[in-house]
Amino acid sequence: MNRTLEDVIHKNIANTERITAENTLGYVVSDNITGNVAATSFDNTSAQGIVKHMNILLAGLVQSAIRDIDPSNSVCYLRVLTRKFEYLVAPEELFTITVLQ
Amino acid sequence: MSAEVEEMLKRFQGVKNIIGIIVSDYDGIPIKSTLENQLAIHYACHMHLLTEKARQVILDLDATNEFISMRMRTSYFEVILMPSDNYFIVVIQNPSD
Repeated sequence: MNRTLEDVIHKNIANTERITAENTLGYVVSDNITGNVAATSFDNTSAQGIVKHMNILLAGLVQSAIRDIDPSNSVCYLRVLTRKFEYLVAPEELFTITVLQ
Repeated sequence: MSAEVEEMLKRFQGVKNIIGIIVSDYDGIPIKSTLENQLAIHYACHMHLLTEKARQVILDLDATNEFISMRMRTSYFEVILMPSDNYFIVVIQNPSD
């Protein structure tokens, strides 16, 4: 399971470079099932905090709210705007990517 | 307060792609809405919950930061949630891309 995730990350290194070269503050990629951080540009503690709060909690809540309103619908991505920066959260089947910009 | 609400709704009249707008007070009860009542109540209830949770999440991650708004893009449309002082606004739109 973790192997496939690492492979995916490897293949997308070029994309990751491009994203981080732009106006971003950083990114976190996390495994959906275990909640572990797979890759990140932050230090581990903050990354884990981001994963726990943002990825799992909030994205999960949004997904269930959307599904409650319309069961055939599902979240494609989430943009949370705060005063200092913006979180872009993209949940997939296996993993979740969060970018701060 | 309802004058502001009216003015806001008027602003959105000219924008295309908008499916519905819900202005709701902080108890999750829709004040004004362009959708049918049942659906508006349903949306307002969920969005109310989400605003609270999102605000807590942002505060947990950084105590100096503040939650401003949230955009949820789903397969069919996009929901924009924007809390304000006395109320929060939910806009449902067809994304133009």
